[in-house]
Amino acid sequence: MVWPFVVIAVALVVHGVSRRWPDLVQQIVMPLGVAAIGVALWQIGCDMSGTDIFPTPWDTVLAFGDIIESDRLLGDSIASLYRVTWGFVLATMCAVPVGLVVGWSTRSFWAMNPIIQGLRPISPIAWIPIAILWFGIGDGAGVFLIFLSSFFPICVGTMAGVRNISLVHQRSAANFGVHGFELMRRVVLPGAMPQIITSLRIALGVAWLVIVAAEMVGMDSGLGYLINDARNMGSRYDLVVATMIVIGLIGIVLDLLIRRLETFEEVKWGYVKQ
Amino acid sequence: MGVREAVSGAERAKVVVEGVSKQFTRRGEALPVLADVDLEVHKGEFLCILGPSGCGKSTLLNIIAGFEKPSTGRVTIEGEVVRGPDPRRVFVFQEYGIFPWASVWDNVALGLRRMTDKGEQHDIVQKTIDLVGLSGFERSYPRELSGGMKQRVEVARALAVSPDVIYMDEPFGALDSLTRLTMRSELIRIWESEEKTILFVTHDVDESIQLAERVVVMSARPGRIADIVEVGLPHPRDLGSPEYGRIKNRLYELLGVEHSV
Ligand SMILES: Nc1ncnc2c1ncn2[C@@H]1O[C@H](COP(=O)(O)OP(=O)(O)OP(=O)(O)O)[C@@H](O)[C@H]1O
Ligand SMILES: [Mg+2]
Repeated sequence: MVWPFVVIAVALVVHGVSRRWPDLVQQIVMPLGVAAIGVALWQIGCDMSGTDIFPTPWDTVLAFGDIIESDRLLGDSIASLYRVTWGFVLATMCAVPVGLVVGWSTRSFWAMNPIIQGLRPISPIAWIPIAILWFGIGDGAGVFLIFLSSFFPICVGTMAGVRNISLVHQRSAANFGVHGFELMRRVVLPGAMPQIITSLRIALGVAWLVIVAAEMVGMDSGLGYLINDARNMGSRYDLVVATMIVIGLIGIVLDLLIRRLETFEEVKWGYVKQ
Repeated sequence: MGVREAVSGAERAKVVVEGVSKQFTRRGEALPVLADVDLEVHKGEFLCILGPSGCGKSTLLNIIAGFEKPSTGRVTIEGEVVRGPDPRRVFVFQEYGIFPWASVWDNVALGLRRMTDKGEQHDIVQKTIDLVGLSGFERSYPRELSGGMKQRVEVARALAVSPDVIYMDEPFGALDSLTRLTMRSELIRIWESEEKTILFVTHDVDESIQLAERVVVMSARPGRIADIVEVGLPHPRDLGSPEYGRIKNRLYELLGVEHSV
């Protein structure tokens, strides 16, 4: 049992380094340290329980070799990303215009809001049987499910953004004769944009959660399917955990990419505290 | 003063407010805010509306500008009933009305977006930005400006379209006292050279005497016109003159405030 000594040694080193380079410690050493403690606990858990099904950290590292070698990792990642991308892009193209109109016009708000609020709480997972019925096993069903899971957060976020546009801005627009389509482009869309971007971020996160679940239940490719496959083909839990880590990493990258939208000059006003 | 004579010569009513009252409903209860306001604003006049906070100055100006409907009565401009806002008459808001998602340049160009001559449009925008002293900030966004600078962008946005009438609702409230003085004299210079009709809401007695030809004093709850005071002083106005002091006393008296402590 060397682990306790390793942990103590690491703690002493961190303490020493933090005196000299506080920023380095806060932003790099500390997060790495927390991750290392997590991995250490994982290893200790494996050692103490004596399991031979659940993989150790090192088993998982080796499993990466296996999935990369078997050519599954790249193909299944692309399959999942393909469905998410198309579903998300189509949902954005439909949900933003609908949200702008429904949020702006009181009449369409009364007409459309009940149906939107009524469909919104239905988990996209519940749509899986219908998706398969309509589109069969394959990309169509995946894209459809991602469309559904992204559409409602984006639509509701856009509506809220539009309804938050201040009265002074509405009045300025009216005063300068901005109407119709121009009003949408010059005032309503940019005024709601910060909240639209926040809703895109939420929707993409949800889409990434949903696609894995959907692929586990009703598809024959993708990272979710890979997880299921690994368990069914002789309980390869090392492959399961390795795939989970890949899912997490891709999720982080997707979020970082979409967050770049928040850095445009036209929307920064929505994120700074006045 | 030339402008005054020209105005009193024409003496044509520009804005006429007839029997306007307004009530809001608050928690099911009627809340009278304006009662029976009658007012005539002359063409080319600089008129100040002065009154304590909450007396209904903004409400009155919003009704005149067409943003709100009066409960009774009507507003006419050159004989035409006001039914909504109009680009020929621009409102400068008490809170920032400029768009935070657009640069200073794009904000000022808002009212000129339909101009076909882009070269002329460019010249007007640049000239107006220079006029309010924001040269060099054309590409900045409102969040990068101070409160006073934002207010000047808003004034520039209004001036760029060269409107007939400008409605200003405490436009200099957020400025420091030095910038406020500069803005006041700039405004007077523009008003004298371009013969605009200006309705200017304020709760600052000195501001109203420095700017207005006539000061409309409102009383509170429900707001009504207590009296209209003529300020017969030529610009630039001498703030130390006995006439200035006399008008100031009269305004304080109408507002019901004891100002000598
Ligand atoms: N939309 C509204 N609904 C209900 N009450 C309102 C509304 N707008 C204004 N009021 C009330 O009307 C009164 C007058 O408001 P108004 O904004 O016209 O005052 P003001 O004279 O401009 O004050 P200030 O100098 O503080 O700007 C206030 O008592 C306010 O509470
Ligand atoms: Mg007000």
